Amino acid sequence: MESPAPPARAPVPARPGDTGTVLERCITGIEGLDNILGGGIPRGSAVLVAGSVGTGKTTLSLEFLIRGAERGERSLFLSVTEASDKLVQNLSTFEFFRTDLVVDGSLVFVDLPVIYEKLGMLGAELSSEELDILLRTIRDLVRSLGVKRLVLDSLTSLGYRIRTDEQIREFVLRLGEEMNACGCTALLVSEITPTQGRYSTRGVEEAIVDGIILLWNARRRGDIHRVLQIIKMRGSAHSHAQYVIELTPIGLLMTPHLKGARSEGED
Amino acid sequence: MAPADIGDRLRALPPGSAVGLKLDPREYADQYFAVLSAALRDVGSEPGTRTIYVAVTSPASFVWSLAQALDVPTDRISFVDAISHLMMHYQDPLPNATYVESPRALESIMLRVEYLLRRNPSPRSTVIIDSVNSLAIHNPSELLSEFLHILLNHLKSRQVLTLVLETTEEQAASVEQLLNLVVDETIDIARLGP
Repeated sequence: MESPAPPARAPVPARPGDTGTVLERCITGIEGLDNILGGGIPRGSAVLVAGSVGTGKTTLSLEFLIRGAERGERSLFLSVTEASDKLVQNLSTFEFFRTDLVVDGSLVFVDLPVIYEKLGMLGAELSSEELDILLRTIRDLVRSLGVKRLVLDSLTSLGYRIRTDEQIREFVLRLGEEMNACGCTALLVSEITPTQGRYSTRGVEEAIVDGIILLWNARRRGDIHRVLQIIKMRGSAHSHAQYVIELTPIGLLMTPHLKGARSEGED
Repeated sequence: MAPADIGDRLRALPPGSAVGLKLDPREYADQYFAVLSAALRDVGSEPGTRTIYVAVTSPASFVWSLAQALDVPTDRISFVDAISHLMMHYQDPLPNATYVESPRALESIMLRVEYLLRRNPSPRSTVIIDSVNSLAIHNPSELLSEFLHILLNHLKSRQVLTLVLETTEEQAASVEQLLNLVVDETIDIARLGP
């Protein structure tokens, strides 16, 4: 089955000097990230947060949601594998996390397996019809709650139940369209292996999404640094440099990755 | 040289200054203690002042014991300790210290300094880097110069007073050159007085 061509999105000023419509930004609230993004993620974008195990994908995504909820933007975490109550427990390590954000519904956690069960999607693989229903369920949830920030953790785990590349391509494309129509900025977590050479398991998702934030562990003379780099962000004149990050109780901190010595395994 | 003389010089510096403090290895112990006294007791005791001490030469526990001898209050000083792990000297971590695994982890040192600045906001912060010589032992000069350039400019933009300890005669000419490029001035402690 041929996938339809991506529909036209709102015009964007891709580079400084362009005269297109200036997109509203979704200020992530992660100071360093907003700086290198030129003020935040263009609102309504679908962004892949790609990285291998232990690189900080979930932590970055959670901070994005908490900072949003603090700013009055309702935030939704769709968990595919990890139970929400365990995730909420882990949030207590963040000094900026307030439980009242969860209590008052500013920060919402939903376990995707619960949705599967309610929708009777109990098979190992999801059919195209089931994917369509799942997509509409997520859209309705976002619309009814007025969600402005969404995290799907992870797209990779969801993808294990999707049989073909065409299906996952269609799913990501339509999810991006729906979220864009709702003015909801979405982070889609993508688990990759260091040697994979691409930003998603299937390799088709990365071409469809609006942005890619890549995280990896870089080695320099035996020491390991967590590194972040914006690979692409449509509508944003963003930095392409590499930044070392640390996940601290006060949030994600970033500093330029020193280039005096190359990391092992780099070109 | 007396600590008060050094303290007077440091207090006279404009906010955001980056200063090299040159110590003579032949009189290292006396000069180091005088600098520590001036930086922690004279400058560091002024209202609203907090000090972040980046320990690369000696473990934070050693510097902290000296600070205690100078009656520096615990809540006025924090440490970024980048040497204890390497020296296997990590059994009894200080509550006011954050530990970096290696003096080679320069980005981590920068991030821990930033963390402490944000965690303990103060209108008058001082960062002491002890020392450029120790950092030079563990890092190639190209990397070290990049580190100093980024860190010192960042601290300058935040109006933080930065003191970089250096020991003359021990350091390679390249280290002295790169330090001269990033600091506003260098104070030769031996020349400050009797």
